[in-house]
Amino acid sequence: MNKFFAATLMVLASFGSAHADRLDDIKKAGVLKVAAFDANPPFGYVDAASKQIVGLDVDYAKILAEKLGVKLEIKPTNPANRIPLLVSGSVDLVLANFTITEERAKQVDFSIPYFASGQQFLAKKGTLSSPDQLNTLRIGADKGTVNEIVLRRDFPKATIVSYDDTPFAFTALRNGNVQAITQDGPKLIGLLANVPDKENYEIPAFSISNDYIGVGIPKGEARLKDLVDKTLLELEDNGTAAKIYDAWFGPKTTQPLARIFKIGDKI
Amino acid sequence: MTLSSLSAVFGEPMAWRYFAWLLEGFAVTVVLSAATCASASLLGAVLCSLKASKHRVLALPVRTMISALRNTPLLVQLFFWYFGISAFLPSAVMQWLNTPHTLDLHIVSLSFPGFEAIAAFFALTLYAGSYIAEELQAGINQVDKRQEETARALGFNRFQCFRLIILPQAIIFAWMPITGQYLNTIKNTSLAMAIGVAELSYASRQVETETFLTFQAFGVATVLYIVAVCLTEAAASRLHSKRMMRTSLPATAGSGT
Repeated sequence: MNKFFAATLMVLASFGSAHADRLDDIKKAGVLKVAAFDANPPFGYVDAASKQIVGLDVDYAKILAEKLGVKLEIKPTNPANRIPLLVSGSVDLVLANFTITEERAKQVDFSIPYFASGQQFLAKKGTLSSPDQLNTLRIGADKGTVNEIVLRRDFPKATIVSYDDTPFAFTALRNGNVQAITQDGPKLIGLLANVPDKENYEIPAFSISNDYIGVGIPKGEARLKDLVDKTLLELEDNGTAAKIYDAWFGPKTTQPLARIFKIGDKI
Repeated sequence: MTLSSLSAVFGEPMAWRYFAWLLEGFAVTVVLSAATCASASLLGAVLCSLKASKHRVLALPVRTMISALRNTPLLVQLFFWYFGISAFLPSAVMQWLNTPHTLDLHIVSLSFPGFEAIAAFFALTLYAGSYIAEELQAGINQVDKRQEETARALGFNRFQCFRLIILPQAIIFAWMPITGQYLNTIKNTSLAMAIGVAELSYASRQVETETFLTFQAFGVATVLYIVAVCLTEAAASRLHSKRMMRTSLPATAGSGT
């Protein structure tokens, strides 16, 4: 049903803007309309004090609007609406923790990735520093997750013990039943934030698989995509990307997570 | 029915690799069940005789323990032995338990089971053992008291009387309920997947996650459980009727409860 809806919108949209170039339209209107999350910290959420949508995605949107020399208009979205909003032309770009997948790339274009959320590990300090060690360790995973499947596929000699959920896996780690547990990096950080003796644990700075997050762009808008890609690469070169990352995941935040992925690492 | 119409009803057939996973899980279930049944039977006999002891110092703690084990959920007991106790064990012990140990016997190499399996074996043994103790007690109660008096009068001491006169009959009386406990044990091993024991239920869930063949994964697991339970039951009742023939007890003995 969703696919059908999206397809219908795509057909409708193609009537309206068959020949127009979106980049010119944005400049003419003087507004860049961006869809962002309003309840997914730290990527996009409503700030309690200012009542504005803020976050890592929003920081990138602000810079893109600046680059175009236009005003920024943020439209809140949920995960399911991201593609329909783009396809119908309601927004010009989507910056909402939008994971690049083949399935989605059939309906919308993506910029180069500007963020990656990877499968990482949580271990007692000093036990784990590189992926080579994984094959000799006992590792706790969550039953039924992609993490478990990836680990079993890529590290067949690792002993994997699967638990019903992450808190159980973490208890097993605390007790020494497993030497490391695996989950998505941001989730591990969230878990570690609430642990009383967090100084005994660490999240080694490597990941074994990545979900790449890109800017969603309407299909076939080559000039717009080109501008977004170039801007992102510039931000990495002049250090702005690292600053944005640090503002949300840096050492001074409540959930510090080492920056492994840099823009341009994967095109 | 052709193969294609079968798959139209039940979906894609499962790859052999996943059957192998399920069979590995089944092997763990069988070994864990067998080991548990054997040790729980021994434990049950010991607990039962301690409970019947005339010394209250022995009898009271055993009664309390049996009642605690029978009246708390097995899942909680599994968590207790796996997560609870391991938090108190010295870290050197935990480290030893959690590193793989293999014993090379030239022909085969035996690997020491992981801590998950040991904790599950321990919890299941205590749980099943306390039930078997009660079943044996019920069997003993069915043996006519006058037999003991007669035996003592003929010069048997208390232990001889228990081992040679009472126990053989009690086992026959309690045999079917004890078999029931064996069958429960087979089914209860599935709870061990909560503490990461890779038995049949754990394997079926793993296959389901990887293939999305929900019906097939759980269907095969169900069939394997049924096979294990039916074979155990058949073996137990065959053993029972053989025993019955060797004794002069009335044919109805032990078939009750």
